[in-house]
Amino acid sequence: NSPKAAPAPVDHGGATYVGEAVCIACHATQNNQFMHTAHANAFRLNPKNEAQKVSCESCHGPGSNHLKDPISPSNRGSLVGFTKEWGTPIEKQNAMCLTCHQGEQRMFWPGSAHATQNLACSDCHNPMAKLSETGLLKKATINETCYTCHQQQRAEFAKRSHMPLPEGKMSCVDCHNPHGSTTKPALKADSVNELCYNCHTEKRGPFLWEHAPVRENCLTCHNAHGSNHDKLLTVARPFSCQQCHGNPGHQTTFFNAGQSVGGGAGVNSRVLGRSCQTCHSQVHGSNHPAGARFQR
Amino acid sequence: LGVALASTAAATPFADSATGVGTVLGNTMSASTTKARPQDPAWEKAKHTPTGQMYQLPFAMPKAEDIKKLASGWEYSGQVEVGFVGGDVDERNAQFRMYQDPDNGAYVNNFSLQMKKPAGGYFVELTGGGAGQHDQYYGLQFGRYNDWKVKLYFSETPHVFTDRYRTLWSGLGTGTLTLLPGLTPGGTASTAVDNASVASVIANTPLTTLSLVRKRSGVRLDADLSKTWKGYVSYALEKRQGARPFGAVWGNNPGNTPMEVAEPVDYSTHDVLAGVSHVSGQNAFNFRVSASIFQNHISTLTFEEPYRIANVAGVTTVPAAGAFTQGRMDLAPSNQAYNARAEYTRAMPDFYRSYLTAVVSFGRWRQDDSLIPYTSIPGIALANVTLLPGGGWDTTGSLSRQTTGASVDTRLLDLTYSINPSSDLNLKAKARYYETDNNTDPFLAVNPNAVYTDADATTAGNQTRGLTYEGLTGVWGRLLNDGSGQSVLLGANANPAGNVAIRSSPFGNKQFKFGPSADYRLNKISTANLSIDREINARENRERDRTWEDRAKLGYVNRGLKNSSLRVSYEYGQRRGSDYNSTYYDENFSSALFPIPTAAGTNVTSWAVRGNNGMRAIDLADRDQHVVNVRLDTMLRTNLDAGLSLQGREAEYPNTTYGLTGHSQRSANIDLNYQPSPKQTIYAFYSYQLGRLRQHSISSQGGAAVTIGAVTPLGTITPANAIEIGQAPGGPIFPLLNAWTVRSTDRNHLAGFGLKQELGKGAILNVDYSYSIGRTRIGYTYNVGGAINAANAVFAGDRMPDLATDVGFLDASLSIPLTPRISARLFYRYQKESIRDWHYRNLAATPIVPGANAAALPNVLMLDAGPDDYRVNWYGVTVQLKL
Repeated sequence: NSPKAAPAPVDHGGATYVGEAVCIACHATQNNQFMHTAHANAFRLNPKNEAQKVSCESCHGPGSNHLKDPISPSNRGSLVGFTKEWGTPIEKQNAMCLTCHQGEQRMFWPGSAHATQNLACSDCHNPMAKLSETGLLKKATINETCYTCHQQQRAEFAKRSHMPLPEGKMSCVDCHNPHGSTTKPALKADSVNELCYNCHTEKRGPFLWEHAPVRENCLTCHNAHGSNHDKLLTVARPFSCQQCHGNPGHQTTFFNAGQSVGGGAGVNSRVLGRSCQTCHSQVHGSNHPAGARFQR
Repeated sequence: LGVALASTAAATPFADSATGVGTVLGNTMSASTTKARPQDPAWEKAKHTPTGQMYQLPFAMPKAEDIKKLASGWEYSGQVEVGFVGGDVDERNAQFRMYQDPDNGAYVNNFSLQMKKPAGGYFVELTGGGAGQHDQYYGLQFGRYNDWKVKLYFSETPHVFTDRYRTLWSGLGTGTLTLLPGLTPGGTASTAVDNASVASVIANTPLTTLSLVRKRSGVRLDADLSKTWKGYVSYALEKRQGARPFGAVWGNNPGNTPMEVAEPVDYSTHDVLAGVSHVSGQNAFNFRVSASIFQNHISTLTFEEPYRIANVAGVTTVPAAGAFTQGRMDLAPSNQAYNARAEYTRAMPDFYRSYLTAVVSFGRWRQDDSLIPYTSIPGIALANVTLLPGGGWDTTGSLSRQTTGASVDTRLLDLTYSINPSSDLNLKAKARYYETDNNTDPFLAVNPNAVYTDADATTAGNQTRGLTYEGLTGVWGRLLNDGSGQSVLLGANANPAGNVAIRSSPFGNKQFKFGPSADYRLNKISTANLSIDREINARENRERDRTWEDRAKLGYVNRGLKNSSLRVSYEYGQRRGSDYNSTYYDENFSSALFPIPTAAGTNVTSWAVRGNNGMRAIDLADRDQHVVNVRLDTMLRTNLDAGLSLQGREAEYPNTTYGLTGHSQRSANIDLNYQPSPKQTIYAFYSYQLGRLRQHSISSQGGAAVTIGAVTPLGTITPANAIEIGQAPGGPIFPLLNAWTVRSTDRNHLAGFGLKQELGKGAILNVDYSYSIGRTRIGYTYNVGGAINAANAVFAGDRMPDLATDVGFLDASLSIPLTPRISARLFYRYQKESIRDWHYRNLAATPIVPGANAAALPNVLMLDAGPDDYRVNWYGVTVQLKL
């Protein structure tokens, strides 16, 4: 199979199903964990088809060839395993998962960033143990699971201003679909702004007087995860505003250390506190008829 | 079992990975609670993911015979963890409480109940924690496995903005801020007295916390409708209530006497989501509709102001001194958003195992609030302007329309076709069209019920007439800041009077992205991938009509290195665009009402004053970008793995002379995980990030004239080139001597380690520690005598003081089983943050930044003293009881 193909039927080499009782006879330890998973409850308490009724073999494939030589590494091809040690090809592992998990939120898995990186479902999920409350993840939480590869984002959430992930009030999956989406960063919306508006609905507008970069992309001024600056800004105010505003007057004033209180002779309100937003407080847009400069 | 089920607090997603927010229920204690769980002693050896990362050893779970059973056939288990929290945890510091809300005293850390009826496969799950605190959460699920389920949830998230706000008003959190006793609305005849009164109130009023609490509750039903169809429907209500720092200014542009007021927050958002999905044979189909109704229950903020605001030039005779007693802000308007989305995939296994995915999505954002008048102050009159009946500036008769009438339509069409010409090669073609179509009519800042009474450009003697633009006739411009300032064209005499904004610009854009990609299997263990795409953006009402960015990305994945996996990618992107029109917005200003004068000696600055035409907006500028990602996962031993990742992003803006000219972001990260046995787990990590940014500008020359016939370094000014020279670097308004450059460098370190150790007899010690260091250095260059004079250069130096933040976190927990059903947990947590931010330098002591002298209006009232350090030691003693 090529790496990013739609799932193909898995060839089990003519093996037949032996039933989970046979599996559990040797794998009682695994079963003590598996019995608490959503898979086990679905397969054992309310199976929807014959494939689910065979429980263990629903995912690992029919076990008869495995029973012929359950020890020898050379016979590992007789079962589908989901660990690096077992060595089942990624495409074969994922195809087993996708036999039940096609469509829905996995519609965009083929061609997704994670699929392009040749990730297996079991790189994030552990179907055999209930480590997380749902999702059968390899770690106890969504965020911990993502951080195992996305260490850069973990560092950003530790910065001065950040989204409330370390405090347990948000998860990566609030914004991203790890199974892929129509956007490059796997956003759960058609655009960055549509995503941000899910929680920041007051900034959705549309407003009477709009601010061009606000309407197009929140990330023009803000970092998505965390920042050394207030309000997740990409750079400290007033310099952030001066990246675009070159109009005559204070927009082009050279602001400096001499303008903070006690810094020198020329204290400037634009260097203090919320900087430009002390006056231009409606920077995301104003609905006041006099709000062209976002002051009301 | 009780300890095991405590993990229920850790994470219970209430939306799935494709739809909705609110995917976790938990709080600041959840991670600690989860890590206190014992491991499964029978699971002695950690296996690895296909990439080579160790799976976390599973938690100890109850065996079948340990689960209680009722005569009704229901099995159940559950637990509750309650106790006391003490120490410094009552700390009110805003940084400490930003998103968490622990307090001294009795504490319900978490509880859970799980019930299952094997006959029929029914289940009930209840979870909750942080009871009574502003970070509390509760969830209830019930249903039938593999068939249907109902989820209900409630979660609170606090957001504390500041605990050092010096209020001058009562009524924080409401739409009316009334000055505290001792302050006079509109001020007194003596600004010195007003300054003293404000200082006295600040000195005698306790510091106030400005915060809001986000309360989200919801219900969701998921059900299998048939063997091939599933459906879901959900409703969520989110309420946000509180107040946050805000600001208001008075007078003309650039304004004076800015003061930090408090914005009230009283929002409700209703989210309705419903969808179906279908999977059958080679077809998969999703359809979803959603509605989001946002309501702001406080539409305006009226605040009294404590100073005597004088009329500015052009505001004549009235109001009388002291009449500006209050200001009024128009707050975030209520709005609605709707979306319908369909996704379809068709697999064609018999035709080179190809498939087609198509997505269409349509949405609309609407906002039609009633507009408020320019001012709530009656009787404001302007020079050369006569108000007609009903045209008072404090009435909506002075507006060109009565409601916003704004809407934006969004449209998405996304197509992907994938085909496998051989068993080793996959090819894809992707095309994406996304549009935000802004249907809002430009707002015209004109009083249609007012006329000019001065001489116009064509007829001798005073006239009584309005000026006509875009079909509307009247007096153009708008009052500023409740009438304490004005930006109105004060006459029909052919002088645009500078930058008078008369028209808004609704913004929208069309994005078209397309390109092929290929994935090729090099051998059994490695693949290479290449993607090329072009993204075209066509924008409404921007300086640049179109930009296009070409990207090429090459990736390599090797999963077969000895005990390791390697992933490497490089991407190059080049953005270019159509001509950049720095004068695009001229049609929104009063200069559009009159032709530029041609007579020699005429100052045409009003026509040529828009801005530095060497500056490029960040999102429109030409850009060359390189992105590199490297990731190595390796199993150093069977029980020790390491993960190393490197990222680099370099962006240059080759055709930007002023504005953002370059930025970069680099990071290096390493993780180590060691799991020698179920009794011991150790991890450590370190991340380093370096971010750089460079920007340039030119301080404008105050009062500079652009005079027809004047000789400049850029040539003699004529009516034809006046605007170009007026806006050009090196011209009279932007002399090169005034140029300045800012370089901002962010450096961050994050280090952490953790230990989980079983001490015997089931006792478990868990320790997690992390320390984060953030430093931002902003340096600059300038010409003495240009951007600033020699005297100020002494204070300016060559950089701002560093922005510095240090955050330390230690969580230590000792769990001790007392009986088979009861265990105790002792935990200790140390949290500290030190923060240095020049924005708030000395503001704690100097909230009134004085003006020229004690009798002058203050420079600014900085009522928020800003973030402050904290150091909190807190501990807890809890008992976990299982049912």
